[in-house]
Amino acid sequence: MRLSVKPMLCIIDKRTPLCELAFLVAWESDHDGYYCLFNDFREAPLRCWNDARDGQLDDERSVDQSFSYWMTGDDGDNRLAMVAVEVLRMDTDDRRRNRRTRHVWDIN
Amino acid sequence: MWMLALTAFACGAAAAEESAPQAAEQESPWRLGIALGYGMRSNPLVQSDDIPIVVDLDIAWFGERFFFDNGDLGLTLADNRAVTASLVARFNSDRVFFGNTDTRFVSADLAGMPLAEATEFTVPDRDYAIELGLEFLLDGSWGQLQFTAFHDVSSTHDGFEIYADYGYGWRSQRWYVEPSIGLSYKSSALNDYYWGVRDDEVSVVLPPYQADAGTNAHARLMLGYQISRNWSFSLVAEYEHLNDSAAASPLVDEQDILGYFAGFGFRFR
Repeated sequence: MRLSVKPMLCIIDKRTPLCELAFLVAWESDHDGYYCLFNDFREAPLRCWNDARDGQLDDERSVDQSFSYWMTGDDGDNRLAMVAVEVLRMDTDDRRRNRRTRHVWDIN
Repeated sequence: MWMLALTAFACGAAAAEESAPQAAEQESPWRLGIALGYGMRSNPLVQSDDIPIVVDLDIAWFGERFFFDNGDLGLTLADNRAVTASLVARFNSDRVFFGNTDTRFVSADLAGMPLAEATEFTVPDRDYAIELGLEFLLDGSWGQLQFTAFHDVSSTHDGFEIYADYGYGWRSQRWYVEPSIGLSYKSSALNDYYWGVRDDEVSVVLPPYQADAGTNAHARLMLGYQISRNWSFSLVAEYEHLNDSAAASPLVDEQDILGYFAGFGFRFR
């Protein structure tokens, strides 16, 4: 089972506090079967495919923290593949971390 | 009854949709990073080499009151919605140029007049000064401001510097652009210590010079791309215009200091 998600990284800060993106989730298996796609936000599957060996889904979502997508098979318990989407917060409430320093490369 | 249950289920589902899937990350007091790339900072001194930038370490620790930031030691006195004020001890940065000079035999003095015979000339050395001062940091939707006022406490130059810098950043997902500009007033004692020529340094090559106070101007443009959680790529260009009094020193060859860096940064998170 291969599972891919694009994008896998989303960046937020004070001016953009939410990632409002359409995540393209695609999966592919070596065998036809019954597969379901889940994420951390709900217990019910986002979508299930019957007698399929690949599929994809556009999942529009507003998030501010990292989360995961995963696929299950017939039994519904075992995770066949999982991909983490990272939400990276690039700002800080500590102004001292934004002091001008001699580090020319710093992009914090 | 079933309507109540359905409503409760719907509310529960909505709450689950909005709830955080993972706990928010606690910000580490440490900021550790390394950058590898290529860059250069021009050296305004005569008979000097540009300063290469290939590897750059970023080591900082921020506690509730105390902090260490790449050689600067700070004690935060006030931190509120309007401003963060700290008492900071640091090394003066003007000394950095004097570590990249050469000794050469010259056949003309620094004004270009020919000498009777070739004479060995070395740019006089200068010491690092330890300075203590106040730093004020302000930010908002309008950008970031930094004001500092430092005075020498090591009896090296006995002068002071007042500095202001304004920056504004734009982010579009992985891309980040931040221009910044600023001014730096240097007292006559500070300016004269680094850029003046003292009596015991005067030679047939080097005439005496006394520097007055002056104001440097600087500008910086940074472009960054976040490759992954830890890796980023940065392009930075910097410009500093030395004050007229420093630039008129016989030790100074160029009034403008240019710097650039392109490289990959790794930050421990």
